[in-house]
This record gives sequence, C-alpha cells and structure tokens, in this order.
Amino acid sequence: MGTGMTKTQRIEISERITGATPAARCRQAQEFFGIRLSGIDEIKVYKIAAETLPPAPVLHEVFADPVLQKLHIAATAMPAKTPAYAIEISFRPGVTDNAARAAEMALKQTGYDARVASSSLYFLYGDISAADAEKLSAEMLANPLIQKIDVMPYDDFMRQNRFDSVQLPTVQLAPAEKLFETINLAIGDAALETLSTARCLALSLAEMKHIRDFYAQNDTATARAAAGLPALPTDVELEILAQSWSEHCKHKIFAADIDYTGPDGQTRNISSLYKTFIKRATQDVRHARGIDWLVSVFSDNAGIVRFDDNIDLCIKVETHNSPSALDPYGGALTGILGVNRDILGAGMGAKPIANTDVFCFAPPHMPKKGRENEMPQGPKSPRQILEGVHKGVEDGGNKSGIPTINGAFFFDEDYAGKPLVFVGTVGVMPHKLPDGRSAAEKHIHSGDVIVMTGGAIGADGIHGATFSSLALDENAPATAVQIGDPLTQKIMTDFLLEARDSGLYRAITDNGAGGLSSSVGEMAQMSGGATLDLARCPVKYPGLAPWELMVSESQERMTLAVPPESLDALLALAARRGVLATAIGHFTDSGDLHVTYDGKTVACLPLAFIHDSLPPLRLDAVWEGARPRSAWRGGARADNRSAAPDMATALLHLLQSPNITSKEKWVRDYDHEVQAATHIKPFAGTQEDGANDAGAIWLYPHGGAREHTAVVGCGMAPRLSPYDPYLMAQYAVDEAVRNVLCAGGDPDMLCLLDNFCWPDPVKSAKNPDGNYKMGQLVRSCEGLYDICLAYGAPLVSGKDSMKNDFRGLDKSGQNITISVLPTLMVTAMARGRTGIARGADFKSAGDAIYLLGSPDVSFCASEYAHYFKAPDDAPLPLDGSKNMDMYHRLHGALKSGLLQSLHDVSDGGLLCAVAESMIGGRLGAHIDAMDARAGFGEAPARFIASVAQKDAPAFEAAMTGTDCRRIGQVSETPALVCSDMNIPLGDIIAAWKKGF
Amino acid sequence: MGLRKPLFLVLCGDGINCERETASAFVHAGGDAHIMHINDILAAPEKLAAYDGLAVPGGFSFGDELGSGQIMALKIRHKLGEAFSRFVEKQKPVIGICNGFQVLVKLGLLPFPDARERLCALAPNAHGGFIDRWVTLAPQAGSRCIWTAGIENALRLPARHGEGRIVFADGQADALHKKLQDSGQIPFCYETDINGSYARIAALCDPTGHVLGLMPHPEAFMHAECAPNAREEQPGDGFIIFDNIIRHLQGQEKSLEKRIA
Repeated sequence: MGTGMTKTQRIEISERITGATPAARCRQAQEFFGIRLSGIDEIKVYKIAAETLPPAPVLHEVFADPVLQKLHIAATAMPAKTPAYAIEISFRPGVTDNAARAAEMALKQTGYDARVASSSLYFLYGDISAADAEKLSAEMLANPLIQKIDVMPYDDFMRQNRFDSVQLPTVQLAPAEKLFETINLAIGDAALETLSTARCLALSLAEMKHIRDFYAQNDTATARAAAGLPALPTDVELEILAQSWSEHCKHKIFAADIDYTGPDGQTRNISSLYKTFIKRATQDVRHARGIDWLVSVFSDNAGIVRFDDNIDLCIKVETHNSPSALDPYGGALTGILGVNRDILGAGMGAKPIANTDVFCFAPPHMPKKGRENEMPQGPKSPRQILEGVHKGVEDGGNKSGIPTINGAFFFDEDYAGKPLVFVGTVGVMPHKLPDGRSAAEKHIHSGDVIVMTGGAIGADGIHGATFSSLALDENAPATAVQIGDPLTQKIMTDFLLEARDSGLYRAITDNGAGGLSSSVGEMAQMSGGATLDLARCPVKYPGLAPWELMVSESQERMTLAVPPESLDALLALAARRGVLATAIGHFTDSGDLHVTYDGKTVACLPLAFIHDSLPPLRLDAVWEGARPRSAWRGGARADNRSAAPDMATALLHLLQSPNITSKEKWVRDYDHEVQAATHIKPFAGTQEDGANDAGAIWLYPHGGAREHTAVVGCGMAPRLSPYDPYLMAQYAVDEAVRNVLCAGGDPDMLCLLDNFCWPDPVKSAKNPDGNYKMGQLVRSCEGLYDICLAYGAPLVSGKDSMKNDFRGLDKSGQNITISVLPTLMVTAMARGRTGIARGADFKSAGDAIYLLGSPDVSFCASEYAHYFKAPDDAPLPLDGSKNMDMYHRLHGALKSGLLQSLHDVSDGGLLCAVAESMIGGRLGAHIDAMDARAGFGEAPARFIASVAQKDAPAFEAAMTGTDCRRIGQVSETPALVCSDMNIPLGDIIAAWKKGF
Repeated sequence: MGLRKPLFLVLCGDGINCERETASAFVHAGGDAHIMHINDILAAPEKLAAYDGLAVPGGFSFGDELGSGQIMALKIRHKLGEAFSRFVEKQKPVIGICNGFQVLVKLGLLPFPDARERLCALAPNAHGGFIDRWVTLAPQAGSRCIWTAGIENALRLPARHGEGRIVFADGQADALHKKLQDSGQIPFCYETDINGSYARIAALCDPTGHVLGLMPHPEAFMHAECAPNAREEQPGDGFIIFDNIIRHLQGQEKSLEKRIA
C-alpha cells in the first residue's frame, strides 16, 4: 500500500439486452419459495480503491461493452419502473473474488494499479414483503456464509449516497501478540476432549493422549530444549499433528485394527481394510495375471498406468462433500480444481485431459409440499445444491480447458443431509521427460529448495481437513468454505508443465487438505526432513498466525522441490508467466519437520512421530444380514408406493424419474470436447441426444498411438447397501466395467478406482449404530476384493470419506440425523480402440435385438420397486468368471464389427434400456412378450445389443456359451411393441426428455 | 519442389486453452505453427512480423470476467497495439475462434474496423448459459473471406460457448446486417438457431476478408475420430478452413514467384 491518499470509486453496470436469467430467477422464486416476482434486474457493481483513480473513459473502456452495457459512475434514476426492494450482495472480507481480481488485472493493462471488490445489486419488482426479499436474498441470490447481504426498500436505497461513500471489504486481523502459544496437555481426559473440539482439531482422546505422552518423554524434552523450544507443544505443532492425523489425510478407519463378526457369527481380526482388501486386490491381480502396465499405484497423488508406448495415463477421483453442502458452487469448484491438482502433482506432473463427475443428491423436487419442516437446518436445499454444484463443476472444467467426458446423477432422499460430490480427472504424461528422466518418479535431495507456487495464503480454508472429518452441524466454520479460482490455476498449470519440460524441478505435489503442513510434511519423507520459514510465504493480507499459515488450505497452490542451481531459472519463468512462486525453505536429512517464522523456531517435530507413530484405531464391526431400509426420519420407511400400474404406465413413469431421465440440459453446460480429443461423447444417435454409457478420449492428439483411446466410466448401487454391501460393491464394479466395455474398452486393460463415502462407522454415544456401519464397510471391501480378482481388474487409486452424516435440527427444530446410504462409487478406465464402439442407439430397422446376460432379475433395490409395490426379492449374486467370459467375447465381437449398438441394462431394467436405444436411433422396436418382472426387474451383467441380420449368425457364434438371447427386432414403425403395449416413440421421447 | 510452409503464430496463456489443437490443425493441413505465450510476444512485439498468419484460439482468457475476451483485448490493444495493427494492415490472415472471435470483436477489429464506436457484440446466449453442441454451418454466398473461400457444402462443427449471440447497436441491427451482407462479411450462419444470434450469424470477417472470427471450433474437427458418432470419413469438416488458408498463402507465393520470373 502506498502512503498517498486512497480514493474510491463505485461503478455500476446495467445490461442493455435482457438475457434469460431474470425470467429464470422469477420462475425459481415462484417454484421453490412461492414468491411471485414481476421482475428482477441484476446490476454488476465494482468498487475501486486507488491513489490515482482511472478517469471515466478508462472506466468505460475497461468495464463495459458499449453495445451490451451501460456504465454508471454517479447516481442516476436507473430503472424505468420502480422496484420494491434493492439488494446488494457483496463478498465477506477475505472471500475469493474472481471478478475483482480480473478487474485489477484489466486496470493494470491500462496503467492503473487499484484494489477492486465486486458485488451484485438486484432490484426486485412486484408486490413482495420485506421477509420475501430477505428470504430470496439469503436462499436464492446469495450464500450468507460467504456473502454480506443488504436488503433495502428501494426508496431508502436511493436516498443513500452510494457513489460517495464507498467501502471495500477488508480483512482486519488483530496481529498475534506472540508467534505461538504453548498448550498444556497434562490435563484430564474430559479437558483433552474439550480442547480437541474447541480448537477444531478433530483428534480423539487416544490421539490427544498419544501426543501428551510424546511430549512427556525425556528424549523429547531434551531435544526440544536443544532446539530452543518450550517443553510444551506449540499451537503450530498441535495443528500440524491434527492435520496429518485427520481422517481426511491419514485414512485411520481404513487402517484400523478391526474385530469383525460376519453373518456366520464368527469373529475375526482384520488388520487394515486398506492392506487386506484394497492394496492386496491389486497385488493379487497383478501377480495372477502378470500385469506389467501398473506404473505407480497407491503411492502418489494419482494412479499411473501404461496403456500406450509413448504416454502414461494417471487418474484420480476425489470427493468434496462437506464443502459442497455449505457452499455448493464454491465447494464443487474447489473440489474439481483440487483433483486437477492431484493430476498436476502426480509423478513429475501430468496434464489433465478429462474430467468425470458423479453426484449423489436428494431428489431435485424435494421437499414435497407440506413436508418442508422435515428438511435439515444448515445445508442448502436439494435444488440449490444441484444447481450450485453443477455450476461449480461447469466453471471448474470449462474455464480450465478440461473436457468433462463422463458422469452421473443419482438421487435418493438419504442424501438430503450431505450431498456426495465425486470429481475425477485423467491426466497424461510422457514416459520420459525431455531430459530423459522418468516422468512418473520424483526424487528429493537434501538441500533442494522448497518453492510454493500459485496463490497466496489467506484464512480461507483453515481446518478444511479436520472439518471434513467431522459430521456437519449448524456451527460449521465459515473459513472452511472456499471459492476456487480457475484462472489462477490454469495459468499456474501452463507454467508448471513448461517448467517440468525444462527440467526445473525434481518433485512436485499439491497443496490440498492440510496445506503446507501436509505437502511439505509428506515431501520431507523423501529427503528425510525439511525446514521452512513461514514469514516468506506470500499472504493475501497481514495478521495470520504461524499456525494458520501452516495449515491454511488456500487454493491453487503447489509445492516443488527445486535443485538450488535451477532456482533462478524457475523463479524467472514464473515471473514471465505472471505466476507467484516463492522459495520458503529447503529439504534436509535431519529427520525433523522444522518450522520457523522470521528465523525463530515455532515447531519442530520428528517425521517419524508425525507419520509413523500413531497406533491403529481399534474398531468393532458387525454385519449379521440384511436390514430393511429405514428412512432418515428414523424407523421403517412408510410404504407409500403406488400399486403396480400397467406396464406402459410404469415404463413412462420410470423414464421420467430423476435417476433415468435425460440429463442433456445439464450435460450440455459442460464442455465435453475441448482439447479436440473426445472420441466417445456423452450423446449419440441421429439427433445426438441419446445417452452414451461412458466417455472416451482419443490418445493420438495427446501423443499416444493413433488407434488408442482411454475409456472412462462409472458405476454404483448404493440402494443395495441395506440388503448386502458385498453385492453393492460388486454391482458397482460390474456397472463401471460394462459401461467402459460399451465405449470400446478392453476388459484386459482395465483399472478401477474405489471411492467410499460412508456414514460414520465409529461407534459412540452419538452414533450407536457405528459397529453395523463398520460391518457394512468390511462387507463391501470383501465384495470389492472378490470382484477385482474375478474380473482381473486392479485398483489403482481410491479415496474414502467417512463422516457423511448430518446431525442437527430439522426446520421445525426437532433433532435429526441423516446418514447417506453407504456408497461405493467405482470408476473404471480402460484402454479402448478407436472406431469399434457403435454407441447405445439402434441403427437400422430389421436389426436383431439381443439381451446379453441372464434373464433372472430381482426387484430388490430396483427403480421400479422404488415407486411401485413389488415383491420383496433378495438381490441376485454375481458370477464373476462367467461375466468376464461374456465381456471378452463381447469385446471381440465389437472389434469384429458385429454389433450395431450396445447399451448396458441398469436402472429401470430391460425395457428402459430398449427405450433409450430407440430414442438414440429414433427407431421402434418389437420385443417378445414379457411381464413386469422381466421388463423392469434388475440384475448385473446385462446388455441390450442390436445386430444386423446378416451378422446375426456370426454374432451368435462369437457369443457361444454365454447368455445371449434374441428378444426382438428394431422396427421402422416408431413405437415400442411388447406384450399388449404399443407405446409411440414420441411418448417415450417426451417422457425421457422431461428432465428436471 | 515443395512450397514453403506458411508459419502461423498461435497465442497462449492467460486462460486460453485451445492453443494445442489449433496449432496441430495448421500443421495437419500442411503449415507450420508456433505456440507462443502472450507475455513473450509482448516482450518482443517485433517477432510478430516474422509470421504469415495469427490465430487467437478459444478458451476462457481471464476467466471471461468483465465479458468474454474483454481483458485479452485490453492487453492486446494497450501492450501490443502497433505491432498488431501493422500485422493486420499488411492483410496477413488472422483467425479468432470462439474466445478469440470475442477478442477480435472487443478489439473493434471485427466487423467494422473503421467505425468510431463499437456497433456489434457477442452477447450471452439467449438461453442464458454455456452450450456444447454440434452445429451445421451454412456457407453464405458472396462472402469475401479468404479462410472460407470456395466452401460450398455445409460444415458440421462443435460450438462450445456461453457468449456467442451476435447483437448490433440499438436500432441499427437491420442496417448493419445489410451492410455486412453487402460487403460479403458473413461467411457462415447456423442452419438452426442455437444461441439467439442475429440472423443466425456464426462467423464474421473484416471488410478485406483476411480477418475471420467464428464461434464454432474448426480445430476440434480435423479428424474423423472426433466426429459426433465417431464413424465418419477422414478428414473432419474443420480441415477445409485450415487447408484453404495454407493454399491461399502458398498461392500468393506461387504468383509472386511467377511475377519475379
């Protein structure tokens, strides 16, 4: 800041051309809040502070397009009609304001240095009350967690001199008096637990005692005295330990020592689910099949596989559930940018080439009228979560230039307390960098410089890792909410890939959960130590305490290990590219993580204590068999399903249900083909509106072989969890595998990722059911292991999120707990071949329609049984080796060009799958007579295929020994004819395209 | 004897994200291309003169804040001004695709470089959001655009944008549209409306025909592997635009050789 007088200027920009947004907002206000607006105007506001203010012509040039907008720099009576209310929504101090940052850059181009803040001014028209205006601002237009809302009657608004007294939000932190506090842990158990809660450490009593005991050791005391540190732990140290040991970072539940009692009543000990089932699945598959294409699994930020002679692929899927519940847009945006950084931090850094996004939400039209009070207080409404998360993922992918090629929406009421937001990214890297080093390996030498690059540090995102390890309640800290900045990250990504190819660094990792504490703490293990000075870190504003600098999760940051001789070149390149990069310390071989502030030690912890000392959790787990599904309101779910209707009604109902209906309206908001390499797109068919089963990226533009693709698909079956989590896991894998098969994936070159999102599986007074949920987790891991072996598919990466419960009040003030369905989302990535996948759409009248897979089906957990009364079936088991034989034959038939279409049969059963293939091809179908069970029952390992009559004999020969039945024929007549049904194609299209 | 390969400069940086496929498109069509960071060309504007053509690729320059292309246009106008103007004055071919088109319009280079004030803009899509959809482009008779000369059949290309609706200054739309038609500055219109663009305009060129801006992405459809149903013949419909400009530049060279001889 200069010393001269700072002047301020407010500018307002109104639109000359009305867009679609105002009308959409009026509709939303009516539909979701029952408030009738006659109109709404949005005016963008910028507040500028500078020693020299830009003159009016510059403001016009920078801020407004003369054809589209009007710029106001002084009060004018703006609207032609008189609004009822004016609402100004600005960011709270310290919240990322991307528009303002860009405006600062824009002013810089014209020679003005200024600080800018942005806000939005809304004028509401219509006969509405002050309470209506408050409600719409807090629930539709703004998020009070991150934004400040001023609602004023229009007359009052006009009476104030808003252009004269201009205030920019400014973070003002009282500077800490001391660099650190020491914390006495020699206190009672209850006091230790209180301390953990009060400081948001999320450490258990056992962990608190473990820390206390460490500091009580004579060796520790001696070492600390030598380092000039107090005997008691500093707050910096305690925070480092809390972040490093958070469930989010350490995966304590997957590493726990478990006594598991299964359905046979026998109890056995399982030492680490991760080692026993996940890691071992990969080892055993690798060994059994002699796989040589696993380059790096479970050891880096992402799994790395070799499907090509020139390039490697890496893939990672993350979840971002808690932040997305509080701020859907910011949470999802931060999530997708975060997983992009995992790819950028894999090996020596990979380039993101595709995104995949899976959302589990409460149904978009929940709550039903009259049941609003049943919704939880705190999380946003299902519709706001849907729209906010969607927009966050759209901006995160599109603005980063990464195509979104695959995804899914899954709706169930049990996600009303916490949405699940799975965000994944595929990256590409060469086998070898230009200087000959392997791109998949990183090394750090003692003496290498620690460089932090990307954004600066703020208070945003303090305690993100520990926060996500707690159940949501009304007091969730607002600092845990962040807004990503795709522009900063894109510029940083371009810079880092350039620096990688110029050989300017030796190792890279992202600053995600836990901030510098995690990134430097983990990298330090490679050299044996690290020392860094927090005073050298660039900050967004002054006043942050050392512990805050150490654990802040401010976004868009990566940490590098840079050989001293390359430092100048790296920093110079960063400067040329407009990227912040700062040397903050160096790696050592001291065995310690040593942290200073301006040269004064504020923390020193042995790496061995941070990373390897914590004894595993001890947990009990029980799974005695299926339990009836109970609703989140507690007790058994009231059965208010309709009686089974006729089949035509049932089909049209299912086709428009949220889980089956077309998502085209949403998916077209995502750029799915930037980078010009998307081979299988989300849509297929004559009108390009039929859904495909998976996405595929052509590898040639990324340096791969001309015929290679990377096929990405996903699968899950959470509604099976109450019946049998073992099968739930297997169905999820099977669906993911079938989806990639449809898009041309080779079942022999296929890897899997596991993302577990579970309700809290640790028993406590608050969570009496913990052992059962842990039992479900064990059982699902068993299912996952067995299917990986049966399918010969290795797991290459995974993540778990273990506290997906809402505990708090509903809108009527009653206590409620809403736990998510135990959910395993499986992502499959396979090597595919160009040109062999034909899409899900029927191609020509006369083609034979086949059902591949067993005709046996079950209503258990089916979409049909969700809406209509149906027999209580048991779920069907799955025959892994039989399925795999079919998948190999099917892949062979695809390669031989014997198929015209291939579509997996999933939600809604066989007839829904046939209807979808008809929609894609705009053709009819004659299907052999069947009952509702055969038509809508569900089972794994099934497909609908169409085959030209001339190829039918060869196809049937190719499928010898598999369940392969001809069930009908594609017809020119635009209708689905089956039993006594004759549904016009137009009705089927209308139902399916209804959307939400 | 092979002709010299025309050399194109493809800008990158600040959120541009289609530089790689745009450069590959020129190379695939028989040219050469250098991808250069905008800051590097600002540091040495004289380098621009060495190129035969310039591409401003698609993407989200500066995150589309303050309007798509707005800040990149400010940067080019204020930091590269003269070198850029000289390049255009020499009638070297310039293409702006998607975000690049928005940059050229915000610069005032398209479609009326001589107008005192801006008369045309790319507004947010009529439906209010981003859209990724394949579109059919109908070539317009009488176009003077050198990039699209001789294209007679409709092209299929992907459109991927949030702000692609051509609008004109208040009250002047009909007259300005007629002026553009009369001067052959509308190379393509959408066959069916996708974003509310005036008269379904999808592309504009400057009065000389050397500067082209278009919303759909020709660089994204150079190969059959990228076709919507992934089963069309090589090459993709975008190829013809890059092939055209390279032939055009080589043709100039050929005629120059003839004259010298």
